[in-house]
Amino acid sequence: MNAPDRFELFVLPDGVKKLTITPDTKIPNAATFKVEKEDHTLANMLRMQLLEDPKVLFAGYKMPHPLDHYFILKVQTTPDTTPAHVLGNALTELIQNVGSMKNKFEVKRVLFCYFLLCNGTSSTIWAFHFFFFFFFYLAYHFFLLPGKFY
Amino acid sequence: MVTQKDFKHNDIETLRSRVIVERDRVTSTASTDYPHNYPGLDLAFDLEKFKENFKVKINRLSKNEIEFDMVGIDAAIANAFRRILIAEVPTMAISQVFVMNNTSVVVDEVLAHRLGLIPILADPTKFDFKAKEETSTDINTIVLRLNIRCKRNPNASATETDPLKKYIHSTVYSGDLIWDPKGDQAEKFKDCPIKPVYDDIVIAKLRPGQEIDVEVHCEKGIGQDHAKWSPVATATYRLLPEILINGEIVGEDAVKFQSCFPEGVVDIVEENGVKKAKVVNPRKDTVSREVLRYPEFENKVKLTRVRDHFIFTIESVGSIEPQDLLVQAVQVLMDKCAQVKRALQATLQSD
Repeated sequence: MNAPDRFELFVLPDGVKKLTITPDTKIPNAATFKVEKEDHTLANMLRMQLLEDPKVLFAGYKMPHPLDHYFILKVQTTPDTTPAHVLGNALTELIQNVGSMKNKFEVKRVLFCYFLLCNGTSSTIWAFHFFFFFFFYLAYHFFLLPGKFY
Repeated sequence: MVTQKDFKHNDIETLRSRVIVERDRVTSTASTDYPHNYPGLDLAFDLEKFKENFKVKINRLSKNEIEFDMVGIDAAIANAFRRILIAEVPTMAISQVFVMNNTSVVVDEVLAHRLGLIPILADPTKFDFKAKEETSTDINTIVLRLNIRCKRNPNASATETDPLKKYIHSTVYSGDLIWDPKGDQAEKFKDCPIKPVYDDIVIAKLRPGQEIDVEVHCEKGIGQDHAKWSPVATATYRLLPEILINGEIVGEDAVKFQSCFPEGVVDIVEENGVKKAKVVNPRKDTVSREVLRYPEFENKVKLTRVRDHFIFTIESVGSIEPQDLLVQAVQVLMDKCAQVKRALQATLQSD
């Protein structure tokens, strides 16, 4: 059959670059990035992160064709920086951003499990809770978490 | 005297932070929280500011489901998580079926398809992806066997009509899949042996003399390739609804107002013998917009949704615990960004 292989969606073939930069010939400080094997998930998020940078004048993306698994991202910046530099910043910021989300979620997860566990106990002495939570937190991270996966 | 606001006019703060639900349309949907958009507002990205504003609250956690609130992020990130949860968090699923014998009424390809959709309880982080040309090893493949033959039950009475009692193995269940450990798998997974998540999924029905004898290979994959690798049954989010009342809604109108919403959204409080409608739990609202149909509530009520308050619901199929799913999705997202970042640096150096 002539159906394309499904893994073409996300496996980068040999010799193909993940990212290519084409500077714009007509607009100053503008470039087009072509990112292979990525979709709206990353493209839309990058667009958002780029727009939050005051030095970005324009950021937009499109997926030219649903059967081609790449997107193009157009960026124009102020003269004191370059599109590539701004994109690098945006990626760093996204990683930090999402990393801090992960930390916050994990803390909340432990807290939630702790209070589920304490739901039956009638103790309202906060020092007591504080003390035991500390042990629970340690226990959760060193025993429960690694053991969770069988 | 309660001041009357004009609900038809939206101030700039509402337009920035709320999605406005009108009778016949939804407006102010796009996020505009970017620098240079609002005079006097510095909306440039700042990690410290983000950390301060971002909030997570877990509302509900059960064996297969989690509901939590995420406040202070853009829809682009929330949607990225949703998409990653559905299509890019890896799991293990049956991808090769070797049929030794199949005399059941279920044809081979249908049987293989049914087997493929069975969720497998195995930690995908302990396995590698198997490339097409790679050979199967204990690090990228799990082997399960299914060998079932249907017989008459010698102990059943002659007049028995229930196939479950009349025959032995008249129904093949997912629990009949037996794990065949390879290499050091038996040692590695001794605390949690590999098996289907549910033992009671019907694979096929047999009658005396019919037999299914297959060997199946599970491989690691992602939902983008095939939905059987998706770790979630659903991963959705909705924005927190908000119901604003202009002035007061009293008397019979209050009762009517209450009936426009699902139970628990609006309460009726008595003040000096006058019934008054009060919004108590807008979270429960389905935003049906019923209230906007009546002329008596015109300019008295406004429905909006908080643009950066996401109520996430993730339902796991069972192979990965729901509270671990988001953490794994975050990891996938970070890897994605890091990969593009490396490619960017490589491109800049080669130029």
